[in-house]
Amino acid sequence: MNAPTPALVARPERLRLVGQRRQILAVMHQRLMIGMIIYGAIVGFILVRLIYLAAFGDHAGRKGGAIDLAPERGDVVDRDGQSLALTIDAWTIGMQPAQIIGDKFALAQKLGQLMPEKDAATYLAMLRSKQKFYYLRRRAAPGLVDAINALGEPGLALSREPDRLYPQTALAAHVLGYTDVDGNGSAGVERAFNDRLVDQSQRGTPLKLSISSPVQQALEHHLQAAVTEFSAIGAAGIIMNIHTGEILAMTSLPQLNPNAAGNGTPEARFNRATLGVYELGSTFKPFTVAMAMDAGVVKSMGQMYNCPRQFHVAGRTINDTHPFGRACSVAEIMMESSNIGTAQIAQQLGSVRQQAFLRKMGFLDKVAIELRERGRTLTPGKNWNLIETLTVGYGHGIAVTPLHLASGYAALFNGGIFRPATLLKVDPGQKVGPGRRVFSEDTSYRMRALLRLVVTKGTGKKADAPGYRVGGKTGTAEKLLNGRYTSSAVVTTFAGVFPMEDPRFVIVAMLDDPKATKDTYGFHTAGWNVAPVISKTISRIAPMLGVRPDKKREPNMAEVLPYIREKGE
Amino acid sequence: MSAHGFKSVFMVGAIASAALGCYLVSLRVASERAALESVENRIVLAQRDIRLLNTEIGTRGRLAQLERWNVKVIRLSAPSADQFVESSFQLATLGKPETRPAIEAPVIYAAAPAPARREPVVTNDDGSGPALTRATRPLGEMMHVAGYSKPEPKPVRAATKPVAPLKPVKTATADPLGPLPGARTSAKSDGGAGEPRITKTTKDPGSRQ
Repeated sequence: MNAPTPALVARPERLRLVGQRRQILAVMHQRLMIGMIIYGAIVGFILVRLIYLAAFGDHAGRKGGAIDLAPERGDVVDRDGQSLALTIDAWTIGMQPAQIIGDKFALAQKLGQLMPEKDAATYLAMLRSKQKFYYLRRRAAPGLVDAINALGEPGLALSREPDRLYPQTALAAHVLGYTDVDGNGSAGVERAFNDRLVDQSQRGTPLKLSISSPVQQALEHHLQAAVTEFSAIGAAGIIMNIHTGEILAMTSLPQLNPNAAGNGTPEARFNRATLGVYELGSTFKPFTVAMAMDAGVVKSMGQMYNCPRQFHVAGRTINDTHPFGRACSVAEIMMESSNIGTAQIAQQLGSVRQQAFLRKMGFLDKVAIELRERGRTLTPGKNWNLIETLTVGYGHGIAVTPLHLASGYAALFNGGIFRPATLLKVDPGQKVGPGRRVFSEDTSYRMRALLRLVVTKGTGKKADAPGYRVGGKTGTAEKLLNGRYTSSAVVTTFAGVFPMEDPRFVIVAMLDDPKATKDTYGFHTAGWNVAPVISKTISRIAPMLGVRPDKKREPNMAEVLPYIREKGE
Repeated sequence: MSAHGFKSVFMVGAIASAALGCYLVSLRVASERAALESVENRIVLAQRDIRLLNTEIGTRGRLAQLERWNVKVIRLSAPSADQFVESSFQLATLGKPETRPAIEAPVIYAAAPAPARREPVVTNDDGSGPALTRATRPLGEMMHVAGYSKPEPKPVRAATKPVAPLKPVKTATADPLGPLPGARTSAKSDGGAGEPRITKTTKDPGSRQ
């Protein structure tokens, strides 16, 4: 009984089999469960995502994001917001010779008719060449684009490319500069502010310059007229706010069209206002007198100097165009632009003080402005001896840019503080930099009458704009040709300030090599050719700049008038 | 019992309808947002067009071009210092009163008898009136002397100048102070006798003309 019946005894294999099966079943269940969980998770995720999309997602008909209005390269505008440079989408016509399917000969002839800058034979050669791509025309006119499109040739590619446009063409071309084919600034503001203009975060807001278009246009027009009239090889002009250093207008002639800067001559691309250095002659004399007054050498406008017909010093002879041949006062020296008198003042001042003043005015360094085109001044350097001190005193032997001169006059008449020139607009509430003091306020004040005297009674009579109280100084400097100074070629300059009883603006105009004409009675000095430009320009721009004409107002002329010996006395 | 049994069904229904409501709200928001976006897109496109057109206008009307036109055609020049005025008083001094030449002879207008003017004549006179007045002074009626200057300076001129009394008909009719110079009849005017009556009859219409 107890003996186990073999039939009832489970065979160990079988038992093992059952255990195994259960185990396998459990594993299977487990796997199935995991699979279901994964499946459920995927379905759940899709469901959640669907609900999320339904609740917060975009609907199917949505168009792409708002078009980015910010241009590829920032706009440049003038102080009133008038556009000076902007980027537009221009049509570009290209050609892919490999994709041409039509008759190449006929196509070449049609292209020759539509774009006559190349002849049909050239187009045919291009069509048959192995090159992949040709630019046929950049910035094509819409009419031409239509005509090309009408040809229906797939090998002619029409596309839109951002292109830089200067709507005012030549206006302020040297200030604005231009860009290369790839849209990088290669001159002027385009180059100086390239990073600012392409910067993603800043290009949406236009770059506001201190240039005023109407003022710029007036200056360019009158200067160009003078260049034409006197057959000058070039000219430069600057108008500047003396308190802030803002440049309201700056031009260099011959003109340049920045829309096609590549077509301009190197002469036209050259910025004479900031890059060209010139010996600016007698326009330096006010600086010498102001330095001497500040240093205590000249105590009054009536201080007398012996002005012989010729002045011999250190083996050189200094001449005057209007020789006195008698003792003359400082006021008279300035009025008649006497080299001899100024040389003596410079002699008293001395080389050390002269250099210190010139350095403070920035005349020994590159001109202070944002542009990269800045000329290196030419000075006597280490050989700054007595004769150099004398010649520098009346503006010879030192070559600076016209902008140096404008900045110097600004410093002289704004109360004696030098501030670097700027091309960026200074908003009315904005604080200007502290600058550095060059002259005392008293000197600055007393110089007003002296420069007004030059215009009312001296060499600059033609620069007077009635009612606008113009003061200034003419300068005629001989040019250095083949190492010798020649009187046949001169650089004439006028540096003016207005209104003189409360100076606000400085204007500098320079003509390079003007010729004498019948109207000037054979003279080619500054008083005859460049001074009228000042007069015409000021009469036109002063009302725009808020200067009221008033024939009854004058600076305090009692400073100088007592020291003038009237003609015939 | 049954209500209890359907509780879950109600719950499901409520949740479903709430979810549907939420979904509808979000759908609505999405469509509004899309509409707003399309408007924004249109604004951007319009701004681009404005920029393009402004560029074109600016390029065509660039200052150099305006200057060229000015030099060739318009020839405007900068105002001189004398063209600026200091104050309103100075401005007023520029506007002198227009000096008009003194009238030597009265200006005489020929006028045809207007029908409107005849009516008062007819009504005022008794029966035979119209025919008689026309017959007696045809010239006096045809003739109207117009005063040249405005009513205000007139009395002064009328009082000082001997010329003023020359206009017998008009001074009486046109001037409120007429009776003063009207005493003397002019030698020039023809129909002297009948004039007072004419003025009386045609006073109102005459003064307006």
